[in-house]
Amino acid sequence: MTVSLGKRSLAEAVGTFILVFFGAGAAVVTLMLASGTATSTPFNIGIGALGGLGDWLAIGLAFGIAIAGAIYALGRISGCHINPAVTIALFATGRFPGRDVVPYIVAQLIGAAAASLLFAWVVGPDAVTIGGLGATAPFAGIGYLQAIVIEAIGTFLLMFVIMGAAVDERAPPGLAGFAVGLAVAGIITTIGNLTGASLNPARTFGPYLGDWLLAGQNLWDLFPIYIIGPIIGAVVAAFLYDYLSCDCE
Amino acid sequence: MNCYYCALEGKKSEAVAICIVCGMGLCMEHTIRKDVDVWEGGYPFPSKRVKTALPRILCPECYAALYEK
Repeated sequence: MTVSLGKRSLAEAVGTFILVFFGAGAAVVTLMLASGTATSTPFNIGIGALGGLGDWLAIGLAFGIAIAGAIYALGRISGCHINPAVTIALFATGRFPGRDVVPYIVAQLIGAAAASLLFAWVVGPDAVTIGGLGATAPFAGIGYLQAIVIEAIGTFLLMFVIMGAAVDERAPPGLAGFAVGLAVAGIITTIGNLTGASLNPARTFGPYLGDWLLAGQNLWDLFPIYIIGPIIGAVVAAFLYDYLSCDCE
Repeated sequence: MNCYYCALEGKKSEAVAICIVCGMGLCMEHTIRKDVDVWEGGYPFPSKRVKTALPRILCPECYAALYEK
């Protein structure tokens, strides 16, 4: 017997709120810190202007530490997916009931939207006009399809770590939060300056909604990148892990 | 083994249980049974409470130390 679906959905909303508020919030603060700093190339939008790849490492660690905290706080209540791609991958491999998928995803989207809107309110207009609420978009030179593939590969690693460090019953107990958090930090450090390293449709949804409502900035045509890529990457990782770890021929 | 509490009262009664905390022998009268819920699973799945709870045998002193405020 688990806690009720309502409580689990609320836990997913809270977890996704934490992820977006602290993770995407770190990107906003970095952009605000770098505001006015000259950059040498259009590939550098400001994140990287102060510390190079260290800027992305800092943002990655903000995401990773927030995610690890959410996992240790909420993992036993809802499972702390805080990512529709993870929920769908666990459902696709038969580990998560279909009737819970939609409530979980709706809760994740609500949590992400609440985080972005609250962040904009507490920080002020600069969070939207300068920081864009940490919205993700492909960087200069990265095409639409390339961005989908990059997001898929990034989410593949995230889901692979979740499978190996948490889903697999042979995994050492208690380490999953750190493992997943560090994996996210590493992924963001590498692909952050390519696609924004969303790895998570909800993480992109929140800032997109906030930017759209508060500044009229319409980024929705890019949203499929952050739906298709993460879901493909997560589902492939889950099935591949099952294949690799099965002792059957 | 005899019940420690009965021995303190100058009585002699056979122990039927042992306190899991201090190891004291207990007769039925001095045995406190505290059923403890068992949860299994966790991240990335919700924990589930197992239907059957674990019986936990305690003496009155250990029960008071652990559960009474």
